[in-house]
Amino acid sequence: MEQFVGQIMPYFTVAIFLGGVTWRIWRWMIPRIVHNITLSPFPGTWTAAVTWWVWQIAIFWNILKFDRALWIGAFPFHAALIAIIGGHLMGIYTLGLQFHMIAPLLVTADLSVWLSDLLGTTMGLVFLVALLYLLYRRFTVEKVRAISSTSDFLHLFLLLGIAGLGNYMRLAPDAHMTYLEARTFLTGLFTFNPVALPHNAFFMWHFLLVQCLMIIFPFSKLMHVFGFFWMRWMVNRPYKEWAPGMPGAKVQLSK
Amino acid sequence: MSTETAKGLRQPKRANEALFRTLGVEPVPDDKKVAEAVRHLDEFRQKLRSFVVIMENCVKCGLCAENCHTYLGTKDPNNIPAGRADLIRKAYKRYFTPQGRLFGPLVGAEELTLETLEKWYSYFYQCSECRRCSHTCPFGLDTAEITMVGRQILFWLGIGPQLHTATAGAILKTGNHMGLTKAGIIDTLEFLAEEIEEDYEGLKVDLPVDKPESDILYVPSSADFMLNPNTLKGAGMFFKWVGANWTISSRITEAGNFGYLMDQTRIQREMVTRLYEECTKLGIKKIVWGECGHGWRATKMYVRTYSDLPGVETIPLTHIHDEAAALIESGQLKLDPTRNSKRITLHDPCNYVRACGHCDQMRVIMRAVTTNFVEMTPNRERNFCCGGGSGILFDDPAMYEYRILASNKKAEQVRETGAEVLCAPCSICKAQLYPMVKEHKLGVEVVGLIDLVGHALVFPEE
Ligand code: HEM
Ligand code: SF4
Ligand code: SF4
Repeated sequence: MEQFVGQIMPYFTVAIFLGGVTWRIWRWMIPRIVHNITLSPFPGTWTAAVTWWVWQIAIFWNILKFDRALWIGAFPFHAALIAIIGGHLMGIYTLGLQFHMIAPLLVTADLSVWLSDLLGTTMGLVFLVALLYLLYRRFTVEKVRAISSTSDFLHLFLLLGIAGLGNYMRLAPDAHMTYLEARTFLTGLFTFNPVALPHNAFFMWHFLLVQCLMIIFPFSKLMHVFGFFWMRWMVNRPYKEWAPGMPGAKVQLSK
Repeated sequence: MSTETAKGLRQPKRANEALFRTLGVEPVPDDKKVAEAVRHLDEFRQKLRSFVVIMENCVKCGLCAENCHTYLGTKDPNNIPAGRADLIRKAYKRYFTPQGRLFGPLVGAEELTLETLEKWYSYFYQCSECRRCSHTCPFGLDTAEITMVGRQILFWLGIGPQLHTATAGAILKTGNHMGLTKAGIIDTLEFLAEEIEEDYEGLKVDLPVDKPESDILYVPSSADFMLNPNTLKGAGMFFKWVGANWTISSRITEAGNFGYLMDQTRIQREMVTRLYEECTKLGIKKIVWGECGHGWRATKMYVRTYSDLPGVETIPLTHIHDEAAALIESGQLKLDPTRNSKRITLHDPCNYVRACGHCDQMRVIMRAVTTNFVEMTPNRERNFCCGGGSGILFDDPAMYEYRILASNKKAEQVRETGAEVLCAPCSICKAQLYPMVKEHKLGVEVVGLIDLVGHALVFPEE
């Protein structure tokens, strides 16, 4: 089991994830944008359109404006999620020295590790709380439950499992993992020299569930990460207007 | 074909098979309907990107629910935009995605059945294609696009409301929704010209039809000939004031486009084709559109991709509001706003503000021609639909009741302004708001916008 989860499965997981995402996007690219369905007010230029998309992502503007109660959960959830993904990449790769490497004069190596731990723990907890809130909302708010299917709940439970185990490893001394242990293991995978999973059942489950998430990803609504851009590309784009002024009329528009 | 109303579902009265045949559609028998519908879904999936992206990216966050007036009015989960789209999405998942084929209901996938098709008929004709869901959704997912796909497939199966189907039939015959003939059009216009002469101290306004060598083709809503004559008069007075060489065409006396609302292929294209044929025939240099929301979208945003004629790239196309607002801004229209002095509010037609970039021009005009203008909240692109959008102006009892429910939000908005006059520059809005005002006992007068311009214009003779 451990050998499979730690040394064999990851290669399949990554193949399914990358292949699946590519396949899904391929399918979005086959049909055409048949008509101009941009939403108004129309952005004047492509720069304005893209700025609008970025604005939407940066603060979830529509959610903030039209559903405050969702924003309270969705925004911290996503912000923490991005921080956590970044933290996993940077923290593990640099062994917690990322801030020292970015600003060596300002941040000492020790401080960087301390910051990395602090941020990791905080974001992990924020993520967990936001997740619980979203789950609670899905169960209790009638309009949300009415449009949910079982998988919508299962995704959240899966994330809950991943986040719960992650936080437990951070907070419970007996389950703790060092950055170095994780890096050694992942280096093995990335260099195609897989080594054994660290001896930590919590880590194995954490790692297994993350792989489940990656396998599900291309076949679920998690594709909204990409879908956002594909939809905005259609509904927020510049439009060129015909100029006013009536040919042949006695009163002509003065310029 | 089952013609009885399916149990417990709110459905408009259906068009009969004979009517569908006049539109080139042989109604599909019940036992073949599901298979045909799935085949059409497959076609759309390979043709229309908006359809696929909307089908595959909803996160079921529920944000759209309370941003749709139909859910606010009925609290029916199938009227949540995401719930409405799910009527198709469940089948889409079942037939076109691996997760749906493998896991079925666990991931929200479901076989398509005749009962579901009955639900399509019910809920795609409760959606007004107002796009408020798209405007508010974090991703911009547009349930109106799904409604359009649903209605189109139903049309091809031979399912559609009497109202829409008969109107579409009138288009093929006469080029307008009301079935007006050329003689009828000329008659009405002569009558309106006389009314103007009486009401405005002998003012003589020409309302020409099919006049050769015209520069401007004005395309009014055919409803203006019967329900909203002041809008027609206003436009005529405006053209008179600026001295335009203009005409109305009897082959396309229709700013609306019911094709766009149920058959976005054959019938929508018929209107577009007529439009540019008439331009060539009458020597038109510019098309100016009348007050109609969905029709303005169907034209402004769709002609480029629907017309087979080259005029679409060379003949400019604007709305009469664009023209009036531009002249007001350049200070060239002489107006007396005190003639429109009652407290007045503006209902933003959804298609103008969320699909046509048509918003500021209405305010420029409003401020210039009235003295007591109050905005309702929310307004502009955040505005709620009147409840009649996309022509769901049914008067069979169940649907009439629905229309009034769907206008709850609008009634509340209007009441809050304390206005005496409600300006709604769109034929469908007007047709919906007349009964709304009555049933919600609002006691306001419903008017168009160009009506007010006509009324405020100061003519040199005066
Ligand atoms: C592009 C802008 C994005 C927007 C507007 C957005 C919006 C949303 C919304 C509204 C939800 C639903 C929350 C709920 O369950 O009620 C959601 C869920 C989620 N999003 Fe995003 N998201 C975006 C990008 C991302 C990115 C970049 C990621 C990951 C790297 C991500 C990962 C997730 C996950 C894992 C969920 C939970 C899914 C579930 O409920 O099953 N999202 N998102
Ligand atoms: S707001 Fe958009 S993503 Fe959320 S449920 Fe509605 S359609 Fe789906
Ligand atoms: S288009 Fe309008 S009526 Fe239809 S689902 Fe969206 S918000 Fe509701």
